[in-house]
Amino acid sequence: MRQIAMYGKGGIGKSTTTQNLTATLADMGSRIMQIGCDPKADSTRMLMGGVRQPTVLDTLREVGAENVELDGILHNGFGGIKCVEAGGPEPGVGCAGRGVITAIKLLETLGAYDEDLDFVFYDVLGDVVCGGFAMPMREGYAKEIYIVVSGEMMALYAANNICKGIVKFAEEGEIRLGGIICNSRNVDNELALVEAFSERIGSKLIHFVPRDNIVQQAEIRKKTVIEYDQTCNQADEYRALARNILENEMFVIPEPITMDELEGMMTEFGVV
Amino acid sequence: MTQTKTERSVTINPGMLCQPIGAMQAVLGVHAAIPLVHGSQGCAAYPMRMFNRHFAEPVEIALSSLGEDAAVFGGADNLVKGVHALTSRRHPELIAVITTCLSETIGDDIDGILRKIDLPVALVPMHTPSYVGSHVTGYDNAVKALVSQLAEQTGPTDKINITVGLLNPGDIRELKSMLEVMRVKANILTDISETLDAPLRLPRPSFPTGGTTLKEIADTANSLGSIALCKHAGGGAVTYLANKHKVPMILGATPIGVANTDALLENVSQLVGRPVPEQLRRDRGRLIDAMIDVQFKVVSKKVAIFADPDVASGMARFVHELGMEPSIVATGTASKEFVKDVQAIASQTGHEIEILQGCDLYGLHEAVKAAGVDLLMANTHGSIADDEKIAFARIGFPVYDRVGYQRRTIIGFNGGINLVDLIANSILEHGDAS
Repeated sequence: MRQIAMYGKGGIGKSTTTQNLTATLADMGSRIMQIGCDPKADSTRMLMGGVRQPTVLDTLREVGAENVELDGILHNGFGGIKCVEAGGPEPGVGCAGRGVITAIKLLETLGAYDEDLDFVFYDVLGDVVCGGFAMPMREGYAKEIYIVVSGEMMALYAANNICKGIVKFAEEGEIRLGGIICNSRNVDNELALVEAFSERIGSKLIHFVPRDNIVQQAEIRKKTVIEYDQTCNQADEYRALARNILENEMFVIPEPITMDELEGMMTEFGVV
Repeated sequence: MTQTKTERSVTINPGMLCQPIGAMQAVLGVHAAIPLVHGSQGCAAYPMRMFNRHFAEPVEIALSSLGEDAAVFGGADNLVKGVHALTSRRHPELIAVITTCLSETIGDDIDGILRKIDLPVALVPMHTPSYVGSHVTGYDNAVKALVSQLAEQTGPTDKINITVGLLNPGDIRELKSMLEVMRVKANILTDISETLDAPLRLPRPSFPTGGTTLKEIADTANSLGSIALCKHAGGGAVTYLANKHKVPMILGATPIGVANTDALLENVSQLVGRPVPEQLRRDRGRLIDAMIDVQFKVVSKKVAIFADPDVASGMARFVHELGMEPSIVATGTASKEFVKDVQAIASQTGHEIEILQGCDLYGLHEAVKAAGVDLLMANTHGSIADDEKIAFARIGFPVYDRVGYQRRTIIGFNGGINLVDLIANSILEHGDAS
């Protein structure tokens, strides 16, 4: 079982990329569980055809920890993907990080980590802001991290920051960076910049996913691209991404760069 | 009748303590071990005082002393410094890092932090967020952490494992004496009989001489079988050993009274393949005799029992054996398993028992008032008995308004005899007063 966590700046398209990736992997025959670790609970929306399933924490709040059953919080989505949303408190209330820890521990207790699974994906919100959002990186959970970026300064800045978190956990355990996924925003010189950034931090660009309106069209219809139109170009792009992850053998402890170096790169590639 | 959950939205006089204190007690039963609480000041200060009062013994509890900075930046620095300081000053064989509300909430990766420390001391992380479960859960998690981190398969032995749960030094001494009579060698998890009731001898050793050794904990993977005297407190470790190392397990009833002690001895006898010796049968006869002697003083009296789940259900069966009526059987820990256990006793004995789980002392008081019981069995906090002018027999933890309770046993046949005296005398004293 490969356990993979997807990180990246908020709004970069993590959930979209993750769902399109897992749907494609499932289409290629993999057995997958996807755990949304975001209080917004929108990580599995397209896989579930728009059905908003009860989150782990909502269920916990309503019935109490001892009465939560796996059937209530884990539902099969597209391609038999087992979909879970950790959920969390309302905005401005409570501790969402603790929510992630509680939800993952509860899933473990309930036996959600089936031996037969090929992949478990964690789709984690924005930055690693606290210990709770780093939970999937702890020993026993995800050992591979992929960071979703675009060619924009702040996306790379966030990715660099996330690498600092990975370094910390890598020193203590087996966690490694699997690579950078570029979800293109069509900014100048994007491919070259992201490729250079990936190499500079000691990793590689796993795949450059071009911008294509069909992603939004599918999303509006509450579908992933592979389900919406498996013959389109973008479906092939996701297939390439899936293959690159399936065949990936380069797992590294990243070497984060300084803010000056990052700004230097932006100038070098003519973005600034 | 079963009241499973109180409808009140506040707790009035809580009927339980939090996870870390249970974990601390478990660690204090390990030889040359120091519990290191990863939390703020009160997380160690308050339990320490509780131990001092109940066991009348000094205890060593270390603290990583988290302040506001640690809450914001994480507690790793404090923890690493604490482990180093503790090792260089006290040279313990084991440091158990016990988490708290704060360290669990900020999400400190205790396992990862400890793995990076290279010191000649066993480091065992114990996850005990105070807002989950009770001291009973904490004890269970701690013993499970000990075996999951330290138990190692090295070849079968003729020993058995016994997890004792939250009992007193006197109870463990009684257990060890029964095992000695049966010539059974056991790994006892964890043995506070010498550490929390240590003889005072000079010069005072750096650590009390007794306690479960790390070697014994490591050896638990190789035993003939494991028995949990309290399934809520120790059952987790026994289950872990069964799953991971295929050590047959028995989640027994706490050996309070005749039937439960018989069951324990029968289980031990089957595991080691030897009969229960004559001396224990004599003790059994002496208990039966004691029970008959007080018969007319206690028969048909209504009893309310408030204790940790396994002790409460064990006690319920014993008061039934004495011819008394267990009217209320209550525990501060929330547990469906407890409800099932007491329901089984109710259906086997024909008593109408009100079962309270996860209850506070206010809830207990209300139930006692409504049921009109003659005797309350509870820890020192059960001052309800005074208000209701009923007899009061002290059991459980903590008992600090009378002396010597930590030395006495309530388990086994001799524990039964002690209980007979305790119950009968409580009723007699009360009767004399009124």
